[in-house]
Amino acid sequence: MNERIAIVGLAALTLLSLWLAPWAALNRETGARSAILLLPNRVIDFTDRTPPVEVPGQTTVLVLSLVGLAAIVVAGALPDRWRQLLWLAAGVVLIGTTAWGLSQFDTAVDEQRRLSVRDDVRAAIERPRPAYDLDVLQALVDDPAALTIDETVARAREGGLIIRRLPFTGAALGPAAFLTVVVGLFAILSGARLARAVNRPLDRALAGAAVPAVSIVLALVAAAVVILFLQPTPRATSFVVEGPLVALAGRLDTVWFAYYTMFADSLSTAKGFADALSFTTPLIFTGLAVGLGFRSGLFNIGAPGQMILGAIFTMFVGLYVPGPAWLVLPLAVAAAAFGGGLWGALPGWLKARFGANEVINTILLNFVASALLLFMLSSSPTFAAAAVRVIQYFAVVLGAVLAALLIPPARRALGRRPRLVLALLGVVLLVGAVIVSQPQPGDRPYVLQLPFKMPGSEPKSYELQESVRLPRLPAVFGIDLRQTPGTNVVPVDLALPGALVLGVAALVLVNRLRRPGRLGARLGVAAAAALVAYGILAVLGWRDAPLAIPPSNLNPSFLMAIAAAIFVHFFLFRTRFGFDLRASGLSPKAAQYGGANLPRNTVMAMAISGALAGLTATHYVLGGALEDYALRQSIPTSDGFDGIAVALLGNNSPVGIVLAAFLFGVLKNGGSLLNITFANLTRDVVSMILALVVLFIAAKGFLPERFTNPLRRAQALGDLPPELVPEAPLPVDPEVAGAGYEPGPAGTDDEAEHQGPPEEERG
Amino acid sequence: METIVILTLVASAVRATTPLLLAALGGLFSERSGVVNIALEGIILFGAFSAAIVTYYVEQPFVRDTPGAVVWYAPWLGVLAAMVVGALVAGIHAVVSIRYKADQIISAVAINLMAIGVPSVILMGLFGNSTTSGTVTNRLPLWSLGPFTFSPLVYLAFVLVPVVWFVVFRTAFGLRLRSVGEHPEAADSVGISVTRMRYAGVMLSGVLAALGGAYLSIGAFNQFITEMSGGRGFIALAALIFGKWHPLGVLGATLLFGAFQALETQLGGTALLPPTVVQSIPFILTMLVLAGFVGRAIPPKAIGKPFIKS
Repeated sequence: MNERIAIVGLAALTLLSLWLAPWAALNRETGARSAILLLPNRVIDFTDRTPPVEVPGQTTVLVLSLVGLAAIVVAGALPDRWRQLLWLAAGVVLIGTTAWGLSQFDTAVDEQRRLSVRDDVRAAIERPRPAYDLDVLQALVDDPAALTIDETVARAREGGLIIRRLPFTGAALGPAAFLTVVVGLFAILSGARLARAVNRPLDRALAGAAVPAVSIVLALVAAAVVILFLQPTPRATSFVVEGPLVALAGRLDTVWFAYYTMFADSLSTAKGFADALSFTTPLIFTGLAVGLGFRSGLFNIGAPGQMILGAIFTMFVGLYVPGPAWLVLPLAVAAAAFGGGLWGALPGWLKARFGANEVINTILLNFVASALLLFMLSSSPTFAAAAVRVIQYFAVVLGAVLAALLIPPARRALGRRPRLVLALLGVVLLVGAVIVSQPQPGDRPYVLQLPFKMPGSEPKSYELQESVRLPRLPAVFGIDLRQTPGTNVVPVDLALPGALVLGVAALVLVNRLRRPGRLGARLGVAAAAALVAYGILAVLGWRDAPLAIPPSNLNPSFLMAIAAAIFVHFFLFRTRFGFDLRASGLSPKAAQYGGANLPRNTVMAMAISGALAGLTATHYVLGGALEDYALRQSIPTSDGFDGIAVALLGNNSPVGIVLAAFLFGVLKNGGSLLNITFANLTRDVVSMILALVVLFIAAKGFLPERFTNPLRRAQALGDLPPELVPEAPLPVDPEVAGAGYEPGPAGTDDEAEHQGPPEEERG
Repeated sequence: METIVILTLVASAVRATTPLLLAALGGLFSERSGVVNIALEGIILFGAFSAAIVTYYVEQPFVRDTPGAVVWYAPWLGVLAAMVVGALVAGIHAVVSIRYKADQIISAVAINLMAIGVPSVILMGLFGNSTTSGTVTNRLPLWSLGPFTFSPLVYLAFVLVPVVWFVVFRTAFGLRLRSVGEHPEAADSVGISVTRMRYAGVMLSGVLAALGGAYLSIGAFNQFITEMSGGRGFIALAALIFGKWHPLGVLGATLLFGAFQALETQLGGTALLPPTVVQSIPFILTMLVLAGFVGRAIPPKAIGKPFIKS
């Protein structure tokens, strides 16, 4: 029922958009000025100098789109089978019409470009220069139709004429066409229910994806409203806005183009795609870190700090450990994981041992970590002599106290009067500090020698030794961009990854069989399938496919991120310890009753979570994603917070996290283009969208309980055995995943016995 | 000479305490009603942002003609705007976590994330750069007290301590607020609206935390800078726990943290210690406090749990 209302509503909205919103953009100039096309044949030229273009068939497109949309709206009132049949047909008509219309549009624009180039060539022939090869140019004018626009430009260059600027740049579809296609897709999906077999998988997918999908759409709409207010329609000074409809079309086009900018580069160009994957890499790591924490009932907001510690630890190995790459590189990766793990285990231990809330502690450790990074990269770490003496004095006194605590009789003696001992300790520390801090003759400030600070005022480290550097994308294929700049085409063995994918697909298929057989046999079948696939693909010419390798920061760290996701999946869902962790996350008391060791689980979960966050250093330090292969203060620790959005959007499952990370990677790559394209928009729009996604997911997308409560969902899908179907409304368990907030030691009495510190050991 | 040094230190400790105290007192209302408020940090930022923006635009017509023109009411309107925005932002947190029963920490984290992104986006639209607002000519006035001169919000913060104590422990409203945080079912059974009390608690916390933010941007400084709160919201939260959810305890805790921040500012210019080392001292201290090395804190019983009326 809801599905029907949603699609009919969307169709009505699209009907409106066909009248009001641009269907396509003919031309975009720098500064995002545009000439937009509304159906049929209404062009609003904000640039004021786009030559007119005749696009054939627009009336047909408009009429067919209107008919299709009207059919969807009307069919909404019909009985199920008729509705589904009609929707299926209407969806096909809508998508087909729009695709045909867009191809007509492309052809027309291309034709205009070609004409314009031919005019340029003609003009060049009439006023020749010595550089021109007139024969080549004349041939272009005589027989232009056989060449594509790119070939024409290339040929003209051979003839000595360099065409710098093509007209009609950035011609692309607009919001009305996009909405029509979306409605068409939804109508087809819903109409496919005509085949009964589709129902269950479709319901399942809808139920699972409902909250994330609705949240992301809501966030995009909210951000669109903000963009609407902030970014005026860019237009030429000579253009006069006539009437509210023209103004509205301009505003809609501006918002549309902002989102188009955010998505198009990543999804339509090789370099953009590689850059988006490069942005995705750290997000996968931090998303996994946060997600694993959620699964274990812990909220790790400390990923930024863990990233920094991972980077610092990996720097030590990358600079100082000599040896061959096969030895040092794994060591450097392990160091990154270890550093992050340490920084994660610390709040885990504080929670397990003292019941200190991990949320606040991880936040505080972020500040400590960034101060530490700043210190490691600061130019003059100068300590006054007096301060050094105070620190030494403190170390001696505290060391003595710790040593005393290790001896049982002394510990008991101290533990009898903890408050008195603490007060005494404070007095001793304070008085001693005043005494030793008195200036003495011959005092000289002490400058600490920092391990990897590059001399100079810039906060950056030395560069890594060659052996631990992960090559960036072009270097993986042996392209040195310093010697051969520009796009590089090299033969690449695409058959190998293709065969791998097919092999994995075969394994999945075999596993789905009713009686899958032994693991060895299944693996054998998969390997055989991969081998056969490789042979076929190699014969098809995939072994040496010419591929353009874009210059990008993408590096093998991405593969490590994917491997980490696979590891987390197997760890959480296929190992005993992972089961323990998930049980502790769902219901700590039940897990403990079942024999789980809660304190150990807490520490281990935080350590693994921190290690995953620390592995971002493989991207930012070992992978050289920060300009060069060095640690800089500019390491974007906000990725750690974005990991929260990634984990939530990905439903805390590794597959979901990888997909969500890719979505945000695309948005981040697009966000950096917003700066260039729009005067009033920055990449902060993307961070706002991320925050909104978190907020909306927290509110479960404002959806009814049918989508959000797992039990209700199962019930609605008919997955629940009848004896389990509850009669009363289901309560929400507040203690699930991250909600168990216990500031200070141990929230409840029975836990206090396990978590609270014994009286004599405090202080 | 010595007295001057000490007086400066005391004054700067009091100034550093103010935003912490305001935010922590705000957090007290929210947490006593049973809603965790990690969003204090974000609300401080939103408060600072709206105070600076409103003050800037109110004084702008006058200052444009005569630079340095005195518009006495401009900063007060800024403070008012901060209070309203603070209540609204806290209201988002309240709606999501009370009405939609969301995880209170996630919803608060979302607000903190928004407090980083949203001001930048708006600043870009208004001032063409995404990190600072225009500078404000009419900051909050300075009122003197003996040898000190402080912003009115400083006095307000300290006056609020007994006021909050009275409200929470000696009025019917306070009793209801606490009962909702300790045992919402019992409170509900005697006819107290749990939802309404929690809304009140969270929105009050927004108003107070935003006052702390207004103090930062137009009291202690003269413009808004992105992320100018620098973790004060989190320290305030820790002070709230350290002060055992009691106004007097909160006063003591924030004074301690404020003293450390003052020490940091005093030491920052000297070559005594690297500033980064001093910077991290309050955070480490807070962690030690949280680990329970200095006494045990017992939170309101029902904190962090959404109330489901049966």
